[in-house]
Amino acid sequence: MAEQQTEENVHELDIDVEPLDMKLGPSHPATHGTVRMNLRLDGETVLNAEVEVGYLHRGFEKECESGLYYQAFPYTDRLNYVSPMINNVGYALACEKLFDVEVPERCQYLRVVASEASRIADHLTCMGACALELGAFTAFLYAVEARESAWDILDAMCGARVTCNYVRIGGLSSDVGPEFAALVDEKLADVARLHKDFEDLLLANPIFRDRMEGTGVLPKEDLIAFGVTGPLLRAAGVPLDLRRVSPYLVYDRLDFDVPVGESGDNMDRFLVRCEEIRQSARLVKQCLADLPEGPVDLDDPRVRLPAKGEVFGRMEQLISQFKLVTEGPRPPVGEVYQAVEGGNGELGFYLVSDGTGKPYKCRARSPSFSNTQAMSPMVEGGMLADVIPTFDMINMIGGECDR
Amino acid sequence: MSDVEEPTVESGAESETPEDPLLRRLREKLGEAVVSTHEFRGDRTAILDRGSLLEACTWLRDDPENAFDLLMDVTAVDYLGRKPRFEVVYHLYSVEKNARLRIKVPLEEDDVKIPSVVPVWIGANWLERETWDLYGIEFEGHPELKRIYLYEEFEGHPLRKDYPKEQRQPLIGPGARNGAATDAESAE
Amino acid sequence: MAVRVVKVDREGLAKAAGPLSARAIATGLSITARHFFRNLWGWIVGKPTIATVMYPEEDVVKPPAFRGMPVLVEMDNGKERCVACGLCEWACPVDCISITPDETEDAIERYPQVFDIDMGRCMYCGLCEEACPEEAIVMSDRVEIAAFSRAATLWHKDDLLVPVDRLARRLEYVRRGYER
Repeated sequence: MAEQQTEENVHELDIDVEPLDMKLGPSHPATHGTVRMNLRLDGETVLNAEVEVGYLHRGFEKECESGLYYQAFPYTDRLNYVSPMINNVGYALACEKLFDVEVPERCQYLRVVASEASRIADHLTCMGACALELGAFTAFLYAVEARESAWDILDAMCGARVTCNYVRIGGLSSDVGPEFAALVDEKLADVARLHKDFEDLLLANPIFRDRMEGTGVLPKEDLIAFGVTGPLLRAAGVPLDLRRVSPYLVYDRLDFDVPVGESGDNMDRFLVRCEEIRQSARLVKQCLADLPEGPVDLDDPRVRLPAKGEVFGRMEQLISQFKLVTEGPRPPVGEVYQAVEGGNGELGFYLVSDGTGKPYKCRARSPSFSNTQAMSPMVEGGMLADVIPTFDMINMIGGECDR
Repeated sequence: MSDVEEPTVESGAESETPEDPLLRRLREKLGEAVVSTHEFRGDRTAILDRGSLLEACTWLRDDPENAFDLLMDVTAVDYLGRKPRFEVVYHLYSVEKNARLRIKVPLEEDDVKIPSVVPVWIGANWLERETWDLYGIEFEGHPELKRIYLYEEFEGHPLRKDYPKEQRQPLIGPGARNGAATDAESAE
Repeated sequence: MAVRVVKVDREGLAKAAGPLSARAIATGLSITARHFFRNLWGWIVGKPTIATVMYPEEDVVKPPAFRGMPVLVEMDNGKERCVACGLCEWACPVDCISITPDETEDAIERYPQVFDIDMGRCMYCGLCEEACPEEAIVMSDRVEIAAFSRAATLWHKDDLLVPVDRLARRLEYVRRGYER
C-alpha cells in the first residue's frame, strides 16, 4: 500500500482516490485459519469485506454417509480439531438419541471431563493465536504450553492428543485408570498457572487493550439474526449456553458460572473465554470428585460391542461382535437433531436414518460457519488493523467451518 | 439406497391431532399449507408447503409466542427414488423460549426451487449457498446464490445420492496439467 | 444444580491495569523473567521445566493409552495370531487394511497370506484393534513411518509382526477393559 490516507486528509488534499482491493489470505501469517477475505479499502478503512471459505472442505457428510455409524467418529475429530472430544460427544449423543438409549453415569461424567478439557484447549488456542497475531509472541507460547497440559489429559484418556476417537455409541473406547485423577490435578494446576501469566501479560498491556477494546462490535440482535452462538453471543450479553439452558449429560448436577459480557467487543469476547477456561477447570474437578464407580459401556448388544473378554470365550458374544462390526448398529427409521455446546457455539448433528447401519444423512451444524458469516458486518466501517483481532475472536476453525 | 422408507410413517396417525401447542397453533395459522406435523424423540417437525414457507417463517419469527429468532441450520436431504425427491430442512431456535422447531419442505426433482428465507433471517445467506452448492437446491430471491465450498467450474452437486463418492473432477487453476496452465509452464 | 450467569469484570480490569504503560512493562518483564529463571534453575538442577523435547535424541513419555501404528501380534512360535477373519478390514473407515486369507495344516488353520496396511492412509484411529476378536492387531507405540517413496509406506506382514512380549504394555492396557 502507498502512504496512509485517512478520509480527512484525502478531502484536505483533494486527491481523487480509488478504493483499493486487497486479498487477505487464504494463508496469511496474521490469520489462523484458512480463509480468504476480499477487502475493499479506502485508505485504511474497510468499505466492504467479503469472506470466502471452503479451502478445507473434505466432504465430511459424504464420507459419513458412505460408512457405518461408528466409523464416523474419527471424522468428527477432524471437524473442530482443537476441541475434538466435544465433536465426539455431540455425535455420540445424536446417535444415542436416535437409538433412544442412555449411557451409564460414569460414562456421562467422563464425557463431561473430556468435553471440558477440550474446551480449555480450544479457548487457549484461540486466545494464544490472537495474542500472537497482535504481536505478543511470549503470551502465545505460554498459552500453547498450557494447551499442551490440557491435551495431556485427553492423551491419558484416549491415547491421542488431537485425533481422539474416544467416545463410542453407548460408551467410551476405554475407561480411565486409577491414576487419572492425580494426573488431571497436576495438569490443571499447570494450566491455571500458565493461564494466569498469560492473562497478566496481556490484560495489563495498553497496546493489546487498545486493539481489542471497542472493535468488532455488532449488536446482539444482529448476532442472533446471523445465527451466531457461543462466546461471541455471550460476550454481547445473551446468556445462551446449552449447558445451562438445555443441559445434556450431567451438566444439571454441576456448579458453574456462565460468563457474559456487555458491549460485545473483542475485549469482552476475550474475557468471556478467559473465564470459561476457569469454569471448565472447575467442572473437570467436580466431575472427578463425583465420578461414580461402575461400567462405562452400555450393556446393550444392539449398540455397543460386547466386552472383549467374553468375545474370546463365548459364541454368542463372538457372533454379536461380528454382526456389530460388519453391519453396524441399526437404528429405527427417523431423524434427530442433537446439539452440544462446542468451543465456538452450538455444535449440532442432524441424523436421518433409513433403518440401515449407515446414516442416510449426517449433517454437522458447525458454529464456525455461522460465526464466520457475521465477520463482514463486524469489520465493515472499521480499520484494516481491526480485522485481525475480530477474526481471531471469531475463532474460525477451518475444519469445522468447511467440513 | 433405493428402498428408502417414508420418514413420517409412524407419525402419520398422530399428525391429525398434534399434541404440542406450537404445532397446533402453526396448523391453525397456516391451515392447509401445513402438510403434516410430528414429533420424534422430542424433536418437533412441521412439513410445510413451499408456497407458504415465507409466511410461516415470518410468523414464527415475529409472533411473540414463538420468537424463533435464531436460524440454526439449513440443509437438504436427497431421498433418491422417492417422490418428492428432496426435502429442505430448517432448524429454528428461540433464544427467549429455548424452544426448537424443525421445518421441512418437500421438493420435486424437476422443480428444485424454493423461496429464500434471507429476508427473514439474514444468517440464511451462507447456509442456503451451501445447500445450493452441495444439493443444487435453487433459492429464489437469494441475494448472491453461488457456490461456497466448491469452485464455479465444478460439475454436479456432490451430496446428491446419485453423485458417486469416488468421482474425480479435473484439476483447474495454475496447478492443473492441461490447458492454459501448461502453456504458461512451457513459456517459463 | 447452580448455574450462575456472571458479568465479566471490565471496570476492575481497567483499574488494575492503570493508565501507565510503565506498569505494564514492569509486569511483563517480571513474568517473563520469572519463567526464564525457573527454566534456568530447572536446567541447573537437572529437572527440566521446559516443554520442548529434544526429539529424536529424546522421546516424549507416552501414556499407556497411546495409540501408535497398528501392528500384528507375533506369538512365541513365530507365527501371527491373526486368523484372517477380516473384521479389521471391515471396520477400517479409510480401507487401509487388505488381507488375503489362506489355510494351513496347523492347529489354527486360517492365517493371512497377505496382510498389508497402507500406513500413508492409516489414521491410527484404533477401530481395527477394537474390532479384532483375537487380540491379533493392536496399536503399538511406534509412530515413525517416514519413507522415500509412496510404495514404502505400504507395510506388509513381515514389517508388521511384533513379538508379543514387546507389546506387553499395550496388551495389559487393553485387557483392563475386557470385563465390564
